[in-house]
Amino acid sequence: MQLIKFSNINGALAAATCTLLAGVSNAQADEKSNDWQFDTAIMYYGEPDRVQAVEGVVSATKDFGDEHVFSTKLVLDTLTGASANGAVAQTSAQTFTRPSGNGEYTVEAGDTPLDDTFRDTRVQLNLAWNQPWGANQKVGAGLHISNEYDYLSVALNANYALDFNRKNTTFSVAASYAADEYSPEGGIPLALSKMAIRGDFANDDAFNSGFDDTRIGESENKDTLDVIFGLSQVINRRWLVQFNYGYSQVDGYLSDPFKVVSLVDDTGSALGHYYESRPDSRSKHSIFAQSKYHFDSLVWDMSYRLASDDWGIDSHTLESRLYIPLSDSAWITPHVRYYQQSAADFYRPFVQGDLAEYMSADYRIGQMTAYTLGLKYTQKLSDGDELSMRLEYYQQTPENSGFNSPGQLADVDLYPSVSAVIFQLGYKF
Amino acid sequence: MLQTQQGYHWQLKDEHASIHFNAMASPCELLVDTLEPELVELLAKLAYAETKRIEHKFSRYVADNIVAKINSSCGQVVEIDQEVFQLLTFAEQCYQLSEHLFDITSGVLRKAWHFDCSDNLPSQQQVESCMQYVGWDKVKFEHNSIRLQPDMQLDFGGIGKEYAVSRVAQLCLAHAPNNSVLVNFGGDIQVSQAKKNGQAWHVGIEDPITGKAEQVLQLTSGALATSGDTNKYLLKDGVRYSHILNPQTGWPVVNAPRSVTVLASHCIQAGCLATIGLLYGADCEDFLQAQQVKFWCSR
Repeated sequence: MQLIKFSNINGALAAATCTLLAGVSNAQADEKSNDWQFDTAIMYYGEPDRVQAVEGVVSATKDFGDEHVFSTKLVLDTLTGASANGAVAQTSAQTFTRPSGNGEYTVEAGDTPLDDTFRDTRVQLNLAWNQPWGANQKVGAGLHISNEYDYLSVALNANYALDFNRKNTTFSVAASYAADEYSPEGGIPLALSKMAIRGDFANDDAFNSGFDDTRIGESENKDTLDVIFGLSQVINRRWLVQFNYGYSQVDGYLSDPFKVVSLVDDTGSALGHYYESRPDSRSKHSIFAQSKYHFDSLVWDMSYRLASDDWGIDSHTLESRLYIPLSDSAWITPHVRYYQQSAADFYRPFVQGDLAEYMSADYRIGQMTAYTLGLKYTQKLSDGDELSMRLEYYQQTPENSGFNSPGQLADVDLYPSVSAVIFQLGYKF
Repeated sequence: MLQTQQGYHWQLKDEHASIHFNAMASPCELLVDTLEPELVELLAKLAYAETKRIEHKFSRYVADNIVAKINSSCGQVVEIDQEVFQLLTFAEQCYQLSEHLFDITSGVLRKAWHFDCSDNLPSQQQVESCMQYVGWDKVKFEHNSIRLQPDMQLDFGGIGKEYAVSRVAQLCLAHAPNNSVLVNFGGDIQVSQAKKNGQAWHVGIEDPITGKAEQVLQLTSGALATSGDTNKYLLKDGVRYSHILNPQTGWPVVNAPRSVTVLASHCIQAGCLATIGLLYGADCEDFLQAQQVKFWCSR
């Protein structure tokens, strides 16, 4: 680790520069009007004892006239905390090697093994241009870049929309292609190799060589192609519906380099932990339906999404929002979301006997239900700016999809629930 | 074709127009991606007027401007306008961000230090007698007013030219929204926006020692600024004392590069980074590395 002597002040200096130059031109009443629209938000996400994230979002939109719109969005988030590494809990303490190969962490008896080295800062930038094309068509294109310490994603997208039936019906198609590169600290583990633990080796050199044997390289790639066809229909002046069909194809390295699967014996005792292995492609189909109904003052937004992929994960999402005006300038939005998914064919909370060609104990591809309850309050200020606050509670409950728990595994929680609190503060000007 | 007006002149070349005038003790040049005489004349007039306005307002050699008023206020409150307030706010932010190294009150130290290439170093006593009048933290300013302690002085010399470059580039963008303009005031440079055909402007960075254009840069957008101690130093017992003074000690920064050039979005931003880099002396490169900007140091 390089010692960082100087911090980066350039961002703050750039902001000071913009204030200086913008402030002066305003002061001198430049004829250029300030027609940029800004939307800023800061969000906190916290899972007790697990991940915490703080995210800042700035988006800016400028209308160059005649609906020629440029928009840009910058997201900065930092993540810290611990994330389940996939290994089973045991009735005695366990030791794991950190993903980097440098050092170990110990998990107490009965606890779900969490890798506490989870720490990242992510910067995302989106740029988009949208404009009409002829009387009834719209086209747009965009670029998305996301960069983390160990991850880089670059995506291009394009969209097209056609209005017909006197603009009561809109057909749209959008496509996006993303190229991602993953270069985790410690390199890419060899799928199905056994996690090297320092205690199993005579000395540091032997351990280091054993650890290196579980690595296949520095980085891996994946490509994602998404296509969405949409149809929206105005039913009457109060009711709007939207239907989408989406297809997504991902190819490349789809495993999580930080996740392992425990191999256990008849008594449920872990004999070792093996790096997970996932297929190198995944295709997913999804159908989405949404209805927005405008009552006299309330607006009710309800949607359902069905997704199915060739990993065997089927999911259902039901979501509903109600916009309730409190006055001319304030409204609240209660939000409910329910989510359910089946486990991937190769999901294994642990393995017995032989390793499988594909296996993963990542709870995120196991059977689960989750729900979100939230409330958002929005206040329009006298100068047209908008202030909003959002508080949400999220609960995720992984479920056993039919695995018997031998021996000591019956005494530990193999499917621990995760809950999180989300708080967001937004300002639009 | 050469056109001369009061104070400035311009000419149309093969693919672009160039505007020239002298201000802020530098040759000032604008390259405009157009061959339309009306536009060139408009930009020349605006750029010249704006540069002269800033020079007159913020120079410490002008007898009756706001800087003179503040510097001779003897501890009294002086009224300021919005632009002065904005620049003071900017200077304050630079002071904070640079760990108090960037300080526009440090000009007083020139009373002790004369960088005439001689070996006449001031005594520690002389330096200390100046130091009591140095320190941005002693300055009180608000939206409409500023108060300096008696005998303290403000000097916008470190940011004035870069500020003018950024302001002129901004004016060019507003009045020539379809043309790229390169503003170059004695090596402090900003491009108003990229050329429509995507081609770059070619800019020579001078080697401060030989004075020759050492490196030709291709600049499509953004800004360059250079800080350095070229030809301003003292030499005693083999030690070279640069004219960059550390406002914390009152002594010249040691082991600073002779010249630093930084590439950033705005000229004033690039200029501040270059100056702060110099103030970090031997650590200049480390500091600039951490800023994740392109830079060139010559030692």
